[in-house]
Amino acid sequence: MFSMRTLKTSEAATLLNVSPNTLRAWERRFGYPQPQRSAGRHRLYTHGEVAALRDALGQGLSISSAVSRAREALSTDTHTLVGALARFELDRADSAMESALALRSLERSVEEVLLPSLDELDDRYGIDSAPWALAARWADGWLRRAQRLVPPPVRPHAILVGDATRNELDPEALGVRALELFCGRSGARVVALPVSGVSGLADVVDSLSPDAVVIAGSHLPDDDVALWAYRVRAAAGPLPTALFRRARHDAKLRTTGTRVLSDAPFAAHRQLLALIDGRDATRLHDVPALCALGEEVDRHEAHV
Amino acid sequence: MRRLRALRSVEVDDRGLELVAFCGHCGQAPPGPQPSRVCGHCGLGLVLSASSDVAPRNGEPFLVIDSTLSVCAVSAEAEELLGIDETTAVNRHIADFLVPADANAPSSDNLLALLVVAASGGGAPRTAVVRPRTEFGVRFRVRIGSCGPPHAALLVLAA
Repeated sequence: MFSMRTLKTSEAATLLNVSPNTLRAWERRFGYPQPQRSAGRHRLYTHGEVAALRDALGQGLSISSAVSRAREALSTDTHTLVGALARFELDRADSAMESALALRSLERSVEEVLLPSLDELDDRYGIDSAPWALAARWADGWLRRAQRLVPPPVRPHAILVGDATRNELDPEALGVRALELFCGRSGARVVALPVSGVSGLADVVDSLSPDAVVIAGSHLPDDDVALWAYRVRAAAGPLPTALFRRARHDAKLRTTGTRVLSDAPFAAHRQLLALIDGRDATRLHDVPALCALGEEVDRHEAHV
Repeated sequence: MRRLRALRSVEVDDRGLELVAFCGHCGQAPPGPQPSRVCGHCGLGLVLSASSDVAPRNGEPFLVIDSTLSVCAVSAEAEELLGIDETTAVNRHIADFLVPADANAPSSDNLLALLVVAASGGGAPRTAVVRPRTEFGVRFRVRIGSCGPPHAALLVLAA
């Protein structure tokens, strides 16, 4: 279901009939094709991106226009998914995601196709509409299905997610599911629990021994979140804690080293793993608008 | 002994003029037969061809425009001369960058009309006078002709 063909730099260069240096020059100048990195930090190009560029180069007048055309070709997946969900054609929506996966990694398919499509449906119909409900449930099911296919954890890390979203119809819930999926695919063990339930929480924490806690979503009030965080802290002691898509709240959280993660699930999962590994933790404060919240927490802690 | 010059085949346009190949970014002729359209010199442009009386010479700045009058390529010299960047200029209307500057030109020499004709692959090369959209004291004489593939208009800012 989630196979994606990737190419090494030399393979991608051969497919495009250019040198590897030219390919890297294109990445710098045009930002395309945008490779992922292998475990050894080598560039890995998605076959679909390279093939789209090869086709566009054949008809183009410049590299820039070919890149523009290739990007346009790739963006059709988003239009297809939005169209399918707007017409309640769930089989076609599944097919659109399959097409997206043929061209991109799962992470990019989620971030570039699934989530933007749902955002567009939210803008178009609103979250109280039937089309949104159907689309959100479909997307939630798709992400959970993907999560079930994640291989067993390989990292020694465990992450506890406090889910403060309303339910699966909450627009932020899909971002939280995506974050869980990406962390799971990175080899971490992820357990998500609703913030509203604290009964038996200590047993879960004992069993999981989390290395980090993420409080995700902004629907539930600070009091509920603070109580949940207190119970987790009482059971596990001080842990690195991060906030995901909870920009407006956090004043009552009493944690050590609370960090604000990027709103983008892929960037957030990278930041979270860095936080656990103790790497680049300062970069978590790269989100300027949210830095003030961290200071507010510090002031609150000092006051307590 | 008299030496014979090697013969080479040349492509010609419908007026019998030689078609000259050049890179859409650096403007240089390709080093030789190559497997792809990507310039072997700079790697940042595609190799295009145009009649020898239109093709850019000696580093002349140029732009390539399609039949919808959208900018498709900007040479490195034109980027410098006009202060624009190809990556942001592509797909924008030519009038965002250059506008006619010859008030006395007959309507048949309208810049945009010339570009549309050239982009469709027809007509002999023409000249016009243009200025940058945001500049009033600067004028350029330009040559306009066809280039490709695919068919497009080549606008060379004459030195």
